Amino acid sequence: MNGEAAARAGFRRGAFVAPWILAVAVALLVFLTGAFAPPYIATDFVLKLADSGLLLGILALAVAFLMSQAGLVTLGAASVYGGVGYLFALAMSEWSMSPLGAGVVALIVVLIYSAILGALIIRTTPLAFMMLTLAAGEMISHAVLLDGLRDYTSGADGLVVGFRGTFFGLEADNFADPIRFWPIIWTSAWGIALAVLLVRRSRLGAILRATRQNEERMRFSGFDTYSPRLAAFVFVNVIAGVCGLLHVLNSGFVSQESLGLGVSTNALVAALIGGTATSTGPLVGGLIFAFAQDQFGARGFTQLLTGLAIVVFIVIFPGGIVGALGNFVRRIGGGRRREVD
Amino acid sequence: MIALLIANSLALASLLIMMSSGLALIYGLRDVINFGHGALYMLGAYLGYSIAHATGFWVALVASPALLALVGAALEYLALRPLQRRSHIEVALVTLGLGIILGQALIFVYGGEARTVDAPPSLSGSITVLGLTYPVYRIFLIGMGLGSCGLLALWLNFTTSGLHVRAVSQDPSVARMMGINADRLSLLVTSLSAAFAGVAGVLAGPYLSVDPGMDVTMIVSCLIIVVIGGAGSIAGTIVAALLFGFVQVAGSVFLPDFAALAPYALLMLVLLVAPRGIGRGRAPA
Repeated sequence: MNGEAAARAGFRRGAFVAPWILAVAVALLVFLTGAFAPPYIATDFVLKLADSGLLLGILALAVAFLMSQAGLVTLGAASVYGGVGYLFALAMSEWSMSPLGAGVVALIVVLIYSAILGALIIRTTPLAFMMLTLAAGEMISHAVLLDGLRDYTSGADGLVVGFRGTFFGLEADNFADPIRFWPIIWTSAWGIALAVLLVRRSRLGAILRATRQNEERMRFSGFDTYSPRLAAFVFVNVIAGVCGLLHVLNSGFVSQESLGLGVSTNALVAALIGGTATSTGPLVGGLIFAFAQDQFGARGFTQLLTGLAIVVFIVIFPGGIVGALGNFVRRIGGGRRREVD
Repeated sequence: MIALLIANSLALASLLIMMSSGLALIYGLRDVINFGHGALYMLGAYLGYSIAHATGFWVALVASPALLALVGAALEYLALRPLQRRSHIEVALVTLGLGIILGQALIFVYGGEARTVDAPPSLSGSITVLGLTYPVYRIFLIGMGLGSCGLLALWLNFTTSGLHVRAVSQDPSVARMMGINADRLSLLVTSLSAAFAGVAGVLAGPYLSVDPGMDVTMIVSCLIIVVIGGAGSIAGTIVAALLFGFVQVAGSVFLPDFAALAPYALLMLVLLVAPRGIGRGRAPA
């Protein structure tokens, strides 16, 4: 109708495609460099830190997805993360399953558990949801210490998880050695970040964001607001489960500590540090957290700093570091400020 | 047997009532759940421990809540009020962060081992009531719990400020239109519930123990109670605390191996039947 508007639209479209191709090329380059270069330039110790940083980052990615898309905060991510480790160990020792079979069984249990839990707690308010995830996490954490289950979980001592045979063609050493584990965790992080990005861009993501902003309006408009949020809850728990599986494969040990509130709040902090609104932010946050913990944690201040970081990042930097950097780049670039979802 | 069970669950519920009614009051006024409430309780307990050892239990029972009221006022001025335009989830996360900081600071000062506080001589020993021999301290605890329930009910139902608190809890915007100063009320309620956390902390000393994990244990119990009670409903919260106390005590008697899971089973059951809790809380904004 209006020539000028059409021309502007055309211009925008043209300007949109080129950066997209560029972004893919850069991403591919970063991916390949990141997968193969670090073992040559970094020490074992640094790689070990980076491994644990990315593990935390993946967990943070799950927490951040639920937070930014559905407006729901989970304080029970660790219960699934650590719980998968226990299930993996038990499936191999008690039911003598193969490592791959044990991993699949553990993830199926997570799927069922999170579907049942989600079905119960998503019906409440977002604030009650946050309280209930904390309660559910503590429940799992207590369950491991029960005297009745001591024969299986060995109480506070934890379980050593060694596996024979192969897991996706990889042997136990591939996971335990920080250098050989790096390409595995790096590729997993990218794969999960991509999956999160795809879901974020999908119809499910749009419905989740709309529901987060005004649930009543969505219901009036004829949308089901319950099952999309349930699906999102199950999705993030499966991610947390995959992350827990990678963790137990890497460390070869699982204890009550990996189920506890501490790990959940660490993941929350990693998400807040990096910024919850992006797919890269939580991973960056996890890496920052791991290196910061190495600097300060030795003096027993990790938890104290975790608390401090929650307060500081919510009050002063709500977008996290990646969000703040993005805003900064856009501001000096003079471009339109993109709407943050 | 049954009488002992009921008495024990009343004793536990007394502490829980003091804690969770404070949480529910803050929620009613500010729509925020204070995740740092467990840390306030822990602060009350450690302050009580220090004061009780320096002077005596009765001084601690007065001084620790008084100090906690000041901490509550600081919480109101430094966190809840500046952040009242932010989303409630964010404010709740900030209280979680503050709670972690406070808990860790206490561990830093007092160290990691558990401390014990002795009941004062006048409250130690047991007496026999209606053929049941029962520790005096627990009877005192039940008295304090029921007493604070009664005072709370009197305050909410028969004073002007209580009326205002109920009005804001029912409908904040209408209450503001009628000229109620919600900020001033919130200061009162936050200090009051912090003081209650202080009382609970001091009372917990001789009954449970004073240890580094007490904040998380308590806040998890309180969150479950507030959800079961229907967020914001004081009456629902009190009933839920009684129910919670009973289930926990009964669980440890009848199913000692799985007692830790009993409260969660209760929670799941209530969520299944009544997702909004048993009380008539305000519809969420």
